[in-house]
Amino acid sequence: METAELKQQLKRQIIEFLNLTDTVPENIQDDKPLFGDEGLGLDSIDSLELIVLLNREYGIVIKDLKEGRKVLVDINSMAGYIEKNRTK
Amino acid sequence: MSRVFITGMGIISAVGASLAENRSALRAGKGGVTLCDRLPSRYAGILPFGKVGAGTDELNEKFKIADPGITRTTLLALHAFDDAISDARLTEAALSDPGTALIGATTVGGMCLTDELYRDTSNPCEGSAFLSSYDCASVHLYLQSRYKMQGFTTTINTACSSSANAIQFGARLIKNGLARKAIVGGTDSLAKFTINGFNALQILSSELCRPFDRDRAGLNLGEGAAFLVLEGEEALAGAGGGAAAGEGAAAGKKIYAELTGYCNTNDAYHPSALSLAGDGPYLAMEGALRSARLSAADIDFINTHGTATENNDEAESRAMVRLFGKPPVFVSTKSYTGHTLGASGAIEAVYSILSLAHQELYASLNFEQSIPGIGLRPIPAYKKAALRHVMSNSFGFGGNCTSLIFSNTR
Amino acid sequence: MFYIHHISCISPQGSGPVDNLFRAVEPKYEGIPGNVLRRMSKSVRMGVGASLPLLQWSPDGILIGTGYGGMEDSVKFLKQIIEYEEGVLTPGPFVQSTANAIASQIGLFNHNKGYNTTYVHRGLAFESALIDAAMLVKEHPGNSYLVGGVDEISGHNYRFEQAEGWYKKEDFAGGDLYAADSPGSIAGEGAALFLLNDSPAGALARVIGIATLRGENEDAFRAALHLFLDRHLPDGKKPDLLLSGENGDSRALKWYTICEALLGLDVAVARFKHLCGEYPTAAAFALWLACTLPLKGSDHQTILIYNNYKFSQHSLILLEKFL
Repeated sequence: METAELKQQLKRQIIEFLNLTDTVPENIQDDKPLFGDEGLGLDSIDSLELIVLLNREYGIVIKDLKEGRKVLVDINSMAGYIEKNRTK
Repeated sequence: MSRVFITGMGIISAVGASLAENRSALRAGKGGVTLCDRLPSRYAGILPFGKVGAGTDELNEKFKIADPGITRTTLLALHAFDDAISDARLTEAALSDPGTALIGATTVGGMCLTDELYRDTSNPCEGSAFLSSYDCASVHLYLQSRYKMQGFTTTINTACSSSANAIQFGARLIKNGLARKAIVGGTDSLAKFTINGFNALQILSSELCRPFDRDRAGLNLGEGAAFLVLEGEEALAGAGGGAAAGEGAAAGKKIYAELTGYCNTNDAYHPSALSLAGDGPYLAMEGALRSARLSAADIDFINTHGTATENNDEAESRAMVRLFGKPPVFVSTKSYTGHTLGASGAIEAVYSILSLAHQELYASLNFEQSIPGIGLRPIPAYKKAALRHVMSNSFGFGGNCTSLIFSNTR
Repeated sequence: MFYIHHISCISPQGSGPVDNLFRAVEPKYEGIPGNVLRRMSKSVRMGVGASLPLLQWSPDGILIGTGYGGMEDSVKFLKQIIEYEEGVLTPGPFVQSTANAIASQIGLFNHNKGYNTTYVHRGLAFESALIDAAMLVKEHPGNSYLVGGVDEISGHNYRFEQAEGWYKKEDFAGGDLYAADSPGSIAGEGAALFLLNDSPAGALARVIGIATLRGENEDAFRAALHLFLDRHLPDGKKPDLLLSGENGDSRALKWYTICEALLGLDVAVARFKHLCGEYPTAAAFALWLACTLPLKGSDHQTILIYNNYKFSQHSLILLEKFL
């Protein structure tokens, strides 16, 4: 899968998984921070949920939140990690 | 307003099925958290839990119960409740008196029947024994019926502070003249539901929990129940004695301690974490002191919430330092029992009162290094101590924080 | 006991039933950011949504009663446990499933560090919250408290209760709920919240007394009702209006008949469950309704709310309204 296509897919999956009902993929820039008020505004429970998403959709195991924080920065970092580590 | 005294206690936990057994384990520094095989979860034998020794069949046997709709959560409550009322020498008449309230707490309720619940949600049939057992109220409705109680009864669920709230609510019913006695407490049993919930939050430790330790890695779940009998001055006077220990004893009543302070507050920071400064805990402890008309220096000992999660222990430590400067000696008895959720407030109140009644302190287990930048160290070993006022704290999910103060009556 | 100053309600608003359910008419929840709203179960949404107009009065505490609170999210999480065989699971529904999520979310919204509690004692959960609030008002003069009763029609609770025979087996498309001579009622849902304190000035109503009873002994019920009225109304006086929780279940009718008989023919009777349906904290809707009723041709009125939940849980709330 092309990186651009993966990123689009990832944005759709995040919106659906986290029930972000008032967001569309076009609103999520690739380098927009996922967490914090300046970015998408996700919180710690969302980070746990994203770890589950990576597991279910891409077969990636992230052991804990500390490891997760390095990966879950923005769409670019997530897509990069998926491309390197996906088993599905 | 009437003073409120504790005249009976009953408890069941991973370290014992009676007050004596629990006290014995605490004195010996012998925890009950282990790997257990007999658990309805794939994490049995993988994660440590504070499981009560008695199997569900054994508890059913003891109370001659054949109804499968009486869940393990209810059975644990029944065991502790039965012991508490015997301890307080409550007669059948006293139990049925409209002035005797029952205030219970649980977070799991009948959800311990996780598999049955799943089956019933897919295809509920009229014959299912469990349909009316899944909620939290089922526990105390059962106790109320079984013991023919006619006083005010209710059930509280505020996550981990639930039974601490049951205690303060029961006490306030007495102080406001709405009850003469109140049997208060809580229960929770190990359930696939909560095991997986806490695991999904990544706050379960794969080792024995290490409250307040630099290297703490999360909590161990536990189960258990505890009930306390609270009596007001008027009720005790009616028992043939006055409110002081000596006079009450003349009527055959034990008086373990007096509940002198309490406060409930909300941290209002996050649905499943405390603010790092520990605002909710600080306000709860401060409020309890105010209600007891005591100063921080009057507290001789704290039974902390101390779950051993990164968040709780740091927030709780910071709150203790803010309030006390140099906090009094403290323990986390969750190192013995695991985190018993809805039962923890009551179980830890019982332990606090045992400390007070016997003028002794129990070791906090599994501690080596203090949290950097805070440096607090819990009690390292059992010892006798002169205790006048002790504090017991419970801080729950959703930020619900409750602090109780018990005082010596001797 | 205390004075009710402000009220707020989300309810079926008298619409329905549709498919034998009285579903609440929910507002747009403009006051709740999408980021927060997305996680909320219906009961949390309704509870928080109904609290919003009242938060401007800065309550000193929040007390909620809920019979089912969190059940829907509990089952959502449960299904994950089974589907993924206790593997990697999302924690969101677990956190939302705790019954105290409603009170906790309202507190988060309001940055409210005051007293916060949740009662879950089925048909007496709301009344428990009121009794606690009454004590708080006495213990902390001048403080105000936000108290409410919230329940949603959860798919799972509905199916359980249907299997146990609590709801009508036949189709009920409207008409007279109270004339349907058959067992079962119609499920409803809603959130009714109140801002109360000890100040009479400008109050909508004063709650004079609250009592709860458990059991199915008719004599005990009569005695309790008698005692309640004697305690709170002078010289054998009766309330002006009975707001009855009659719910169309022919098996429950006797309790309401006993109550009406004891009160006597001079007491007007009104019912409310054709507006909100049956659910554990429906008495909260009744209290809201009582607060909204205009004083007709009088400067004073006492109202008794009697509610019966699943035969054995009884509650009495006595209030007075005045110009």
